[in-house]
Amino acid sequence: MKSFAYASARSVDSAQQMVGDNGQYLAGGNDLLGLLKEYLVDPKILVNIKSIPGMDKIEPSGKVWNIGALVTVAQIESDPGIKKTFPGLAQAAADVGSQQIRNVASVGGNLAQHSRCWYFRHRDVLCLKKEGDMCYARHGENKFHSLFTGNNCISPVVSNLAIAFAALDAVAVVQREGQPVRMTMAELYAKAFDNPTAHNSLNPGDLILKVEVPVTRTHSAYLQTSEKHEFDWALVSCAAAAKVADGKLSQARVALGSISPVPHQVKGANDFLEGKTLDDATASQAADLILKNAKPHGHNDYKIPMAHAMIRRTLLKLNG
Amino acid sequence: MNNSDPGKAGSFSRRSFLKSIGTTAVATAAAQTQSIAAELEKANAETTIGPGAVPVTLQVNGEALKLQLEPRVTLLDALRNYSSLTGSKEGCDRGTCGACTVMIDDTPVYSCMKLAIEAQGHAITTVEGLAKDGKLTKVQQAFMERDALMCGYCTPGFVMSVSALLKKNFRPTADEVRHACVGNICRCGTYPRIMEAALQAAGVATAMNKTEVITYG
Ligand SMILES: Cc1cc2nc3c(=O)[nH]c(=O)nc-3n(C[C@H](O)[C@H](O)[C@H](O)COP(=O)(O)OP(=O)(O)OC[C@H]3O[C@@H](n4cnc5c(N)ncnc54)[C@H](O)[C@@H]3O)c2cc1C
Ligand code: SF4
Ligand code: FES
Ligand code: FES
Repeated sequence: MKSFAYASARSVDSAQQMVGDNGQYLAGGNDLLGLLKEYLVDPKILVNIKSIPGMDKIEPSGKVWNIGALVTVAQIESDPGIKKTFPGLAQAAADVGSQQIRNVASVGGNLAQHSRCWYFRHRDVLCLKKEGDMCYARHGENKFHSLFTGNNCISPVVSNLAIAFAALDAVAVVQREGQPVRMTMAELYAKAFDNPTAHNSLNPGDLILKVEVPVTRTHSAYLQTSEKHEFDWALVSCAAAAKVADGKLSQARVALGSISPVPHQVKGANDFLEGKTLDDATASQAADLILKNAKPHGHNDYKIPMAHAMIRRTLLKLNG
Repeated sequence: MNNSDPGKAGSFSRRSFLKSIGTTAVATAAAQTQSIAAELEKANAETTIGPGAVPVTLQVNGEALKLQLEPRVTLLDALRNYSSLTGSKEGCDRGTCGACTVMIDDTPVYSCMKLAIEAQGHAITTVEGLAKDGKLTKVQQAFMERDALMCGYCTPGFVMSVSALLKKNFRPTADEVRHACVGNICRCGTYPRIMEAALQAAGVATAMNKTEVITYG
């Protein structure tokens, strides 16, 4: 690690001031310390945001829950209210890394964590994401990479929470240039779909304050498949949420992780599910719609049938 | 202390007396570290420190460790290389192996992914701090008795993860032990013995000889 200065912020304003053009926010540090140790980022100052009061709360309500950006993944995993109201979110949290990671990892840091592409993470490889001139994964080892992208980088979003939040139609509230800006999960990652150097839509200095989760959808589920049973990023993850009344779905949302730079959502599939009763045939049709136009790259061909199975399984969990 | 039971008035047992002293002492210590943490936070707030070395005080195993550290020094580095607490091991230095696991206020964390300055004001426990007065804890004893190590490099990390688990869950199932230990890797592959040791420490190992408690899947 190169050396850096360090400061603890007491307010959102001062955090943004101190971070300036050459700084980086420090929450749990699970991702940032990894980047620093590989010399992938070079901040002059780390601004500890854990000292900002009020951002570490889970606030339930009848309509929209507020989850502060400093709430830990472990808190989400074990909060009885979240388990009951948003079981898909609790499951997504429980599947993050190990307890040592979940105990310190924050919601904001989990959403803003950077690419896990092994070429990107290698300090000596200068790929497109690091403003080099080619994507090494496309022609090299790409078994963990995307089936969808709008640019030449095929590094996928791997935040478990982003996928569960996307299915629940949650909104991140981001402080940008002195103003709170509300971003859907699609918006929070949109820039990464088009621009290989971006891994999310945050500008330097943007601070995620909280995530708002509407309670509209009574049922939610999350499933992931990894190489290892636990303590591993997902090869494919899938979250689904819907209002279920008399066995019929409404406002269903399906989102997939690890197959696109953004939580992969297809409006046509969500619309298709409206008013449907879930059975294997319906779930399978939805999966066909969601995976239409998937472009595998050789080593990740397996992700298509895997994603298909995961969509069916996750959707059918909404029945239970 | 609730002493309202008329039958017992003035005659509470020595054991409950000791117990209540114990909890008071622990509660006071916890409150103290917390108020120190709050004060530290206030004192340090908004002042930029480093990149050069700054005074850092760590509460490790009940003792104050006063060091001069650059902000970039990790807790693991501070323990191993800036003092002589080499019990916590460095495996990956990337949060993937668990050899560096310590407890911060009873919560297991990877000390390689935590800056030392951020651990100030918290009670840090390393493997060296578990044994009291030269007496090993049940977990340590069980690891020895079950021979739950080969090279031993992963052992301190596993001992910390298991000890942390048993603090909140006195009678874990084999699955719960496994779940608590997924963040610890043993290159020698002595997982079955580690499971046995953890269950023995929790007092559930005796059932093992009769019934198949452990599934090694
Ligand atoms: C071995 C290992 C396995 C893992 N497995 C998984 C997994 O299965 N699933 C998964 O989802 N994750 C996984 N992770 C990633 C881990 O969950 C993230 O690193 C962690 O959640 C990041 O949170 P943090 O608070 O530690 O972030 P930090 O490291 O502190 O920050 C990460 C980034 O986000 C920025 N940031 C932090 N907070 C904010 C904020 N409020 N607003 C704006 N920017 C912010 C920081 O500047 C930094 O760039 C794994 C990590 C490791 C090391
Ligand atoms: S997938 Fe993206 S991050 Fe990975 S090598 Fe290609 S350009 Fe770089
Ligand atoms: S050395 Fe910290 S997890 Fe491996
Ligand atoms: S005993 Fe050698 S790594 Fe576990």
